[in-house]
Amino acid sequence: MGKFVLKRLLALIPTILIIVFVVYFIMDLTPSDPGHLILGQMASDEAVAAKNAELGYNDPFIVRYVRYIWALCHGDLGTSWMTGKSVFESVMARFPVTITLAAGSVVLGVVFGILLGVLAAVKQYTFWDIAGTTLAMILASFPAFWIGMMLIIVFSLKLGWLPSYGTGSISHYILPWITTAGGFVASQLRMTRTSLLESIRMDYVRTARAKGQKESIVIFRHALRNALMPVITIVGMNFGTMLGGTVTIETVFTLNGVGTLLLTSIRSKDVPVVVGCIVILAVCYTLVMLVVDILYGFIDPQIKARYLKR
Amino acid sequence: MSTGTVEKTRQTTMKKSQRAEIWRRFKKNRLAVFGLVLFVFIVLVVIFADFIVDYEVAVTQVASERLQSPSLKHFFGTDNFGRDLFARVVHGSRNSLLIGFGSVVIGVTIGGLLGAVCGYTGGTFDAIMMRILDSIMCIPTVMMALAIVAALGTSLENVLLAMTISSVPRYCRIIRSSVLTVTGQTYIEAAHSCGTSNIRIIMKHVLPNAIGPIIVEATMAVGTAIISAAGISFVGMGIQPPAPEWGAMLSEAKNYMMLYPYMVVFPGLAIGITALSMNLMGDGLRDALDPKLKD
Amino acid sequence: MEDGKILLEVKDLEVVYQTDESTVHAVNHIDFSLKERETIGLVGETGAGKTTTALTIMRLLPERTGRILDGSVLFRGENLLDKSEAEMRHVRGADISIIFQDPMTALNPAITVGNQVLESLEIHNVEKKSKQELEKRVDALFNLVGIPAERKKEYPHQFSGGMKQRIVIAIALACQPALLIADEPTTALDVTIQAQVLKLMENLKEELGTSMIMITHDLGVVAETCDKVAVMYAGEIVEYGTTEDIFTGEAHHPYTTGLFNAIPNLDEKAERLHPIDGLMPDPTNLPEGCKFSPRCPYCTEECRSRTPYRYEKNGHRIFCNRFEKEG
Repeated sequence: MGKFVLKRLLALIPTILIIVFVVYFIMDLTPSDPGHLILGQMASDEAVAAKNAELGYNDPFIVRYVRYIWALCHGDLGTSWMTGKSVFESVMARFPVTITLAAGSVVLGVVFGILLGVLAAVKQYTFWDIAGTTLAMILASFPAFWIGMMLIIVFSLKLGWLPSYGTGSISHYILPWITTAGGFVASQLRMTRTSLLESIRMDYVRTARAKGQKESIVIFRHALRNALMPVITIVGMNFGTMLGGTVTIETVFTLNGVGTLLLTSIRSKDVPVVVGCIVILAVCYTLVMLVVDILYGFIDPQIKARYLKR
Repeated sequence: MSTGTVEKTRQTTMKKSQRAEIWRRFKKNRLAVFGLVLFVFIVLVVIFADFIVDYEVAVTQVASERLQSPSLKHFFGTDNFGRDLFARVVHGSRNSLLIGFGSVVIGVTIGGLLGAVCGYTGGTFDAIMMRILDSIMCIPTVMMALAIVAALGTSLENVLLAMTISSVPRYCRIIRSSVLTVTGQTYIEAAHSCGTSNIRIIMKHVLPNAIGPIIVEATMAVGTAIISAAGISFVGMGIQPPAPEWGAMLSEAKNYMMLYPYMVVFPGLAIGITALSMNLMGDGLRDALDPKLKD
Repeated sequence: MEDGKILLEVKDLEVVYQTDESTVHAVNHIDFSLKERETIGLVGETGAGKTTTALTIMRLLPERTGRILDGSVLFRGENLLDKSEAEMRHVRGADISIIFQDPMTALNPAITVGNQVLESLEIHNVEKKSKQELEKRVDALFNLVGIPAERKKEYPHQFSGGMKQRIVIAIALACQPALLIADEPTTALDVTIQAQVLKLMENLKEELGTSMIMITHDLGVVAETCDKVAVMYAGEIVEYGTTEDIFTGEAHHPYTTGLFNAIPNLDEKAERLHPIDGLMPDPTNLPEGCKFSPRCPYCTEECRSRTPYRYEKNGHRIFCNRFEKEG
C-alpha cells in the first residue's frame, strides 16, 4: 500500500512540471509588466525597466520557466507582484473559506445525492424516480450562480432569513452551501441511480434475496456497496473542483476564497500568484483523487489485492 | 449491378433502418421530445431574432425608461441603462449558442482526431499524450479558460477560443477510450487480418462505431459550455456590454438585484432552458442509442 | 422408492412477463408434485420456462415485469403465492434454497465468502445462537462442501469456478432447507468439475434428506440424479413421469424422442446427430393448438387447432394427440 501511495506521489512531479509549463505559457501569450505592478503606476519607465531586469523578466521564456521550477524545488512559490506577500501564504490565507465551502457542499451533495439516487433506482419508473431525475436535470442545467442569486432574492431579501454575503458565521455559509451542493446532488444522484440500477440486476443480489434477506439490507449491503465506485469518483471530482473554488459562487456571495484570489490575479496578470494558485490546486486535486483510489481498495478486494502486490 | 454497389446499397439501407430505429426510440421518450421542441424553439429565436425585435432595441440606452419592471411595453423590463431586457435576451441567444456549439464542435473535432490517433496507435506517443492531458485536466476548466481570455483579451472570439482549448483534453480522453473499446472488438481484428489499412479501419470501422457516445457527450457538453461561458461573462471576463450576453446581463443585474430582482430572473431562465434542452436531448439520445442501458 | 409425504405441489401455474411492447408467455398451466427426499428434473431447451418456474416458487420474479396469472404453489400444504413478502422471507433460504446457474456472478465480490455463508445463518437464526456457534457452523459447512475452513476469510475472486459453486451450495444448504432448487448448477463449469459438483450435491442431498428440483438441459444429469422428470417445452410440461418412464417407457412425446435423438450415442456408429428441426416458438406469439406442432414430424391438422389430449398411464403423462386412443 505504501509503495502504491509513494508511486502516485512521485507521479505528481511530471504533472506539476507540465502544469507550470502550460500556465506559464498561457500567461506569457501577452507580455506582462511586473515592474509596473510592483512599483505602481507612478513609477518612472527607467525604474520599471530596472525592476524587470532585476526579476530576470527579460530573459527568454524557457530560462524563466526553469528558474521557477528550480525555486519550486526549494519550496518557494515566489512572491506576489501586487502585494509583495509570499504566494503560499496568500493562498493559504484564502483556503479556510474555500475548504469550508467545499466540505459543506460536498457533504450535502453526498447525503442528498446518494439518498435520492438510491430512492430513484429502487423505485425505478415511479414518481420518486421521475421526480429525482427531473430535479437532477434541472439542477444540472441552471447555472449555480444564478440559482444562488435567486436564493438570495428569496431567502435574504424577501424573507430576510439568511445573510446574503460575507463569512461571519455558519449562517453565512448556508446559502452558498445549498447553491454549490445543487450541482453535486445532480451529478451524484444520476451516477448513483445508473450504477445502482446496474448492480441491482446482478446475480449476487438475487442470491442475497434468495437467502431471505430483507430488501433494505439487500440494497445497502449488497447492491449499493458494489455500485459506489463510480459515485466515489464523482464525489472526488466534485471536491477537487470545489477546491479550485467556484469563482462565480464566490462572486455572488462575496466570499474571499481561492477562486476570487485567482480571478483578481489573472485580471491583474500577477503571474506568480496565478501559477502558484494553480499548482497548489492541482496538487490538492491529485491528492483527493489518490484518496479516491485508496477508497476503491476498501470497497473492492480485488483492487486492494492489486495495490498490495505493487 | 456489381457486387460492390449491391454491398453499398445493403449498407445504406441497414444504416437507414438503424437510424429509424433510434429515432423511434427517441420519439417514445417524452422528456427527450420536450427537449427537442425547446431546442427547435431556441434555434428559431436565434434565426429570427431580428424579426422578433430589432437589434438596436437591445443596445439602445433610453434614459427615461431605466429600471422598469416587466410590462406589456417591456416584457422582461429594462436595465439600469434603459435597455429592453426582452430584446437583450433574444439577441443574447446568438452569442450563447455560437459559443456553446462553436466550442464543442471545434473541440470535439480537434480532441476527436487527437484521441482517435492516440487510442489507435497506442504505445509511447499515447502514453506521453495522456500524461500531458491528465496533467492539464488537473487545472479547473473555467480557470484555464479565464487565464486564456485574460492573456488574449476579452472578446467573443477569444472566449470561444478559450472554451475550445480548455475542453480539448476532456474530449480527447473520452474519444480515446471509446476508440479503445471499439478497437478491442473482434471485427477490427478481422479487418486487420484482411489486410485493411489503418486509416481505412479508423474511418470505416472505428469512428462510425465510436460515434454514438461521442454525439451524446457532445450534446450534453453544449449545455455545459453555455453555462461556463455565461460564468466567464458573469465574472466580467467574457463578452463585454453593451453587446447582449446572458452571463454579462446577470453580472450587471447583480448590482441591482436588491431592488430590481426581475433583472436576474430572465437571463438565468434563458441559460437554464437552453442547457436543459441540450441535456434532455442528450439523455434521450443516449437511451435511444443504447437501449440496454434502460431496464 | 419409499412413499414420502408430498412436499411441493405446483398446480395449474401460469406466469407471464409483461413489458410495454409485448407479453411473454413463460409458463403455461403446468402441474407437478414432489415428495420428501425426492428429486424431480425439469428438462428442456433454453427459454422453456424452467428458470421462471424456479423463480416463481421462490417468489423472486422480476418485480416490474413478472406476473403470476393463475395457479398455486403448495409447500407443505400452504400456498406460497398467498404469502406476504415478510412471510416469504422466512421461507427463502430456510425452507427452500436455490442454486443459480453461474457461480462466477452469484457471489458478492466485496464480501468474504465466509461472511456470505454466515449471512444465511444469521438471517434464519431462530435459536439465537451466538456468533461463535454460527462461525463453527460456517466451518462445518466449508468442510462439508470440501473447502478448507481457513479459506473463509478470502474473497470470491480468489476461488475457481468449481470452488465458487461449492460455496454457493454451502450457502444454499446452510439452514438445511427441505427443498433445494438447482438451476443448471453445472452448466457454467468445466466438464471435469461438473461430475465432482454433481456428486457432492447428490451426497449432501442424501445426507440431509433434502428434496430437490434439478433444472437442466442435460439428460445425463437427469439420469444420474432424478427420480422424476418433467419435460418442458414452450412453457408447458409435455411429458411427465418417473425417470424410468422417460428413459425407457414405450410411449413418448415427439419432443422427448427428439431430445434423445439429439444426444450422441457411442454404441451406434451413427454418422451424424439428429437435431430437432426448427426453433422454439416466439414466446410472445405462441402457436395455436399444440405448441410443438410446427416442429413435430407427426403433426396433423388437429394438432394445429386444439390443445393436445392428455394420455396417462400409471402416472406417466404425455400431452400429445398421438396417444389419444390408448388413453
